[in-house]
Amino acid sequence: MSINQHPSSEWLSAYSAGSLSLSQSLCVAAHMESCSVCQQTFARLNQLGGELMTELSPAIGSTLNFEQLMDSINQQESMAVQTIDTDMPRAKPRGSIPLCLRKFIPVDYDHLQWSRISPSIQSTQLCQDHGGSKVELLRIKPGGSAPTHTHLGDELTVILEGSFSDETGIYRAGDFLACDGNNTHTPVASKDRDCICLVVSEAPLQFTGWFTRLFNPLLRRGYA
Amino acid sequence: MVQLAQTKTPQETLQQWLRAVAIERDQNAFKKLFEHYVPLLRSYSLAREPGSSLLADELAQEVMIKVWNKAASYNAEKANTNTWIFTLARNSRIDHLRRNGRFATNIDSSDLFDNIVDTSPSPFQAAQTHTVQKNIREGLDQLPREQAEVLSKVYLQGRSHQQASDELSLPLGTVKSRVRLALKKMQLLMGDL
Ligand SMILES: [Zn+2]
Repeated sequence: MSINQHPSSEWLSAYSAGSLSLSQSLCVAAHMESCSVCQQTFARLNQLGGELMTELSPAIGSTLNFEQLMDSINQQESMAVQTIDTDMPRAKPRGSIPLCLRKFIPVDYDHLQWSRISPSIQSTQLCQDHGGSKVELLRIKPGGSAPTHTHLGDELTVILEGSFSDETGIYRAGDFLACDGNNTHTPVASKDRDCICLVVSEAPLQFTGWFTRLFNPLLRRGYA
Repeated sequence: MVQLAQTKTPQETLQQWLRAVAIERDQNAFKKLFEHYVPLLRSYSLAREPGSSLLADELAQEVMIKVWNKAASYNAEKANTNTWIFTLARNSRIDHLRRNGRFATNIDSSDLFDNIVDTSPSPFQAAQTHTVQKNIREGLDQLPREQAEVLSKVYLQGRSHQQASDELSLPLGTVKSRVRLALKKMQLLMGDL
């Protein structure tokens, strides 16, 4: 798998800082699991976070007491059979499902509840974040196209399977794309297989041109 | 009562304490880590929620419990203790915010971060961590104030770029370019991101 499109440094640093929304962070994580370049940048950005934290002037005046902390730790330990927490990576992903999405895709893509939003596109909502942004999968049939649209807010896409192309290039599995209000694009799936994408939109999509009437069902699935 | 943080405690000492906690379950070493990190963790929480001292204690307590439970998973080659504690604090903050969001969500910090493994070959990691450290320190010392300010918004105050742009009365593009410039100056970017 060769990855062409990475999250920009602004996205990566906001992810490392924990200041991205949960749904957007999920997109960055889905990309990063299979991208060693971004993994290394991420490690450095975490290091920056640690340094910035130590630059803060220590806030005294805590009411925390060490003996009480130990008491509550001991209580927890006596209640639970202690499992050693090693932070080791879990089992390898089956097929193209990123580990960060396994909770939301328990079996495989085919076992999800897909709804048809156009002759060539199906969608399913995986979850939403604490601000209400939806995390969705889109499945575009071979050669199928998504309606031309622009964005009011940021739209993040991570390609999980297959590939698609738009005015700016061709995108393959693992690629991460961020579009904002300045982009208008018409993604077309490649002809050989379905294209499955993880999509998070901050704001409703805005359809342009004659597609709008044709794809009105898109507007009814909660975007409008 | 928590003492003033011994901010001068060298990294090697902090790592020794953490190792003692991991291997010997040494409560004295853990107490020293507690005294060192609780005031910093409180500051981290107060940076986002000024005035909320109770919340700050809550976060500090939660992170210290994680330190005790997860000490064995700490890898000194991959990260210094500050980096590790920062990631624990960030994750606790995220999980606190998700519990208090407008909408219910089942995305949590472990979905977002637990599956990311740095796959770079380990013989080089320790040396690289050290170089990165040096670049960050030198970079931070020379960073123009307006870039430092934006980094602090994003990393410490937990603001999105849009929120930072609103609070600093700056165009969104300016916020993003200041972040980028700062990261570049500290040589934190791989390739051409
Ligand atoms: Zn990448």
